[in-house]
Amino acid sequence: MNENKATIRLRELMGGPYGWGRDQGREVFQQLLKKVEASPGKSVIEVSMKDVERTDISFASETVVEIAKRYRGNKGFYLANVIDEDLLENWEAAAARKGQPLMVWDGKKGRVIGVQPSQGTASAFEYAIGRVSVTASEVANALDLQITNASNKLKQLWEQGFLLRRQETAESGGVEFRYYAVK
Amino acid sequence: MPKRRPKLHCLVELPSKWVDSAQLEQALSASGGPHGGSFYSVTFRFPKNCKVMVDAGVRLLALANQLDFSTRRVALEFDEGEAGTMGYLNRMGFFDHLAGQVIVRPYRPPFSGAKIYGGSNKDLVEIARISPDNRDQDLPTRLSEAVASALGTRGDVKTLKDAIWTVFAELIDNIFAHSATVLDGYAAMQLYRNGKSLQVVVSDSGQGIMNTLRPTIQSQFPALADLSDTNLLVEVFRQGISRHGPDRGCGLKGSAAKAMKYNADLEVRLPESRVVLVPANGIYKANTAYCFGRQTLLWGTHIGFRFHLDS
Repeated sequence: MNENKATIRLRELMGGPYGWGRDQGREVFQQLLKKVEASPGKSVIEVSMKDVERTDISFASETVVEIAKRYRGNKGFYLANVIDEDLLENWEAAAARKGQPLMVWDGKKGRVIGVQPSQGTASAFEYAIGRVSVTASEVANALDLQITNASNKLKQLWEQGFLLRRQETAESGGVEFRYYAVK
Repeated sequence: MPKRRPKLHCLVELPSKWVDSAQLEQALSASGGPHGGSFYSVTFRFPKNCKVMVDAGVRLLALANQLDFSTRRVALEFDEGEAGTMGYLNRMGFFDHLAGQVIVRPYRPPFSGAKIYGGSNKDLVEIARISPDNRDQDLPTRLSEAVASALGTRGDVKTLKDAIWTVFAELIDNIFAHSATVLDGYAAMQLYRNGKSLQVVVSDSGQGIMNTLRPTIQSQFPALADLSDTNLLVEVFRQGISRHGPDRGCGLKGSAAKAMKYNADLEVRLPESRVVLVPANGIYKANTAYCFGRQTLLWGTHIGFRFHLDS
C-alpha cells in the first residue's frame, strides 16, 4: 500500500517541539484533519514524530489517537521517528484510553501500542504485520486454520483498527478481501 | 442570656518549625477556618523559626488571594521580617502574586527576590502563575528543565525530567480545562537535598475535582456513584475518571503513573478534605490512602507530589 501512503510531520503542525494539553491538541487535530482530507486517495498516513520532543497524554489523545479512531477501518495511522520510550509512554496511555490500537514503526520493526490484539487474533496479526498484505487463505495456510476461521480473525482485526482491508477480485473470479498492515 | 458575639477576626498562627502542608492544615484548623462566614479579617502570623515549605507556601498564597477576593481584610505578619521565612517566600515570588490589598508586616518586600534571582538557583522553580487568559506555553518545560539541572548527576535524570514534565503538563492543563475561576492558579517546585525529596505543587482556586465530577458520576460511571470522596479520588488517579466520559480522564491517571515510578506520595487538597495517597506495589490504592475529612474550607484543588530521591 506504499503508493497509498502520505506522511505528515507532526512538528510542523505544533508550532514548537512540545505538545501539551487538550486545547493545543484540538488545534493540531484540525490541521491534521485538513491534511488527511487533502489526500483523499491515501489510506495509510505516516505521522512522523521527528523533532517532537515531548507530548503529554492529553495532547496525544486529542490528535493522532483521535484521528486514527475517527478513520478506523478506512485509513490507518502510524507513528514513525519516535525519539524515545518516555515519549511513547504517553501515546500508549492515550491510545489505551480510547481503545485505539496504534502502530509504531522503527524501520522494519513495528509494534502496536494502546490496545493489543486478543489472544485469539494475535498470531494472525503477527503474521499480517510481517507482510505487505494477506488474504484469509494465506493466513489459513500459514497458521493451519480453517479459511472461515482465518477470515473471521482478519475481519475482527480490521474492525478493531489493527489492519486495513480492500476488496479485490480473486483468481477464481469472485471477490475477496485483502488485508493490509498499517505501514 | 446575652447573645455571644460572633468572632470577627481570625488569627492563623503558624508553628515555629518547618511548615509543610500538614502543619499548615493544623494551623488553619486551630484558627477555626479563615473562610468562616463571620470573619471579616484574617491574620496569618509567622513566628520566629517558622520555615514555610513550598507546598504550604503555594497553598497559603492561594488562600490569601481567595480571602482577599471574598472582601476580607488579610494581613501577613512576619516576626523575623526578610531575615526569616518571608525572605524565602520573596525568593519564591510569593509576593509577586499576592493580591495588592493584602497587608504585609513589617512591610512588603521592596524588591522581588524571584525577579532579581529568578532561575539562578537550581534547587527551586519560583512560583509561576497559571492563568487561562495568559497561557504560558513554556511553563512545564521550564519546571522540568529545572529538575534536570538540579539533579544533573543522576543516571535517570532524563526519565525523571520527562515524568515531571508530564505531571506538570497534565495538572496545569487540568486547571485550564476545569477550574472555572477568575482567580489564578500556581505551580512551583523545590528540591530538598537534605530531605532527599523533590516537591512539585500545582494549585488552583476553582470548583474542585469532586464538585465537577459528582454531578455526572451517576450517568457516566454508575458503579462508582456510591463511593466516598476518598475512594472516588483514588479512582480518579488510578483508573482515570472524567465528567466528560470514559474516553477522557487519562491526564490525571497518567501523571499519577509517572509519579509512581518514583514512588511519589500524592496529596490532594479538596475544598473540605485532604487525601494523601501513598503508593503500594506500584499503584495508589484506597487502603493506603489517608483521608483527613472536615478540613477548613479552601477553594479549589491543590495537588502535590513528593518524589523520593534516595539514590
